Amino acid sequence: MRGVASALLGVENEVNLLDMEASIEHLARGTPGGVDCMLVVVEPYYRAMETAGRIVPLAQELGIKRLLGIANKIRDPEDARAIRDYCRSKGLELAVEIAFDDDVRAADRNGKALLDHAPHSTTARAVADLARQLS
Amino acid sequence: MRIAVAGKGGAGKTTISATLARTLARSGKQVLAIDGDPNPNLGMALGVDADLLRDPPRVPRNAADEVKDEQGRTQRVLKSEFADFRQQYAVQAPDGVMLVHMTRVDHAGTG
Repeated sequence: MRGVASALLGVENEVNLLDMEASIEHLARGTPGGVDCMLVVVEPYYRAMETAGRIVPLAQELGIKRLLGIANKIRDPEDARAIRDYCRSKGLELAVEIAFDDDVRAADRNGKALLDHAPHSTTARAVADLARQLS
Repeated sequence: MRIAVAGKGGAGKTTISATLARTLARSGKQVLAIDGDPNPNLGMALGVDADLLRDPPRVPRNAADEVKDEQGRTQRVLKSEFADFRQQYAVQAPDGVMLVHMTRVDHAGTG
């Protein structure tokens, strides 16, 4: 399957976006080798930060030029500081910081897309900012 | 633009992937969203009708070929034209996003 994901990332199309599986084996096998940008979602929990920290060198090894962190589920300034400090120590630039968003939970609970459930939510606005940075 | 979204499970990859895919599609881009998770849920996060997700087309393992590029590196390319591939395997998501499923939970361990 991984070969197919890699092939699909390479098809002629304006945007090809791969939501990767949680395991970083994918990366070790080189599936996203040809991507222009890898987004690394980081929560303010040690294990999530640690996972992000392990992704950075693997992505660099694959030659991915643009590696951007997305700080997610931030509840207070301490959370933000923890992620910023960790990402700085790993050389991961943060593109956006997203506050903990009850609208995401509510959308999920209702089995709806965030953009349909809460189009003006914190997360939707942060992702719009991210899209501008990528375009 | 080829984008991969990575991170620990539960960190919010799928919500961010889906929201980004639709936001880029709304700005006029043609977007292909690829669910690489063995337990796929990008479709729901994109807002695809549940009926379309009950038994979505599965991309077969042999849909890609390996070819060597000029530097001798292995590249993977689709065997069929993307337009045909899309017709066969893509599920239509809101805002014109095309969604394809790579793996399913019943294929776990074989991918």
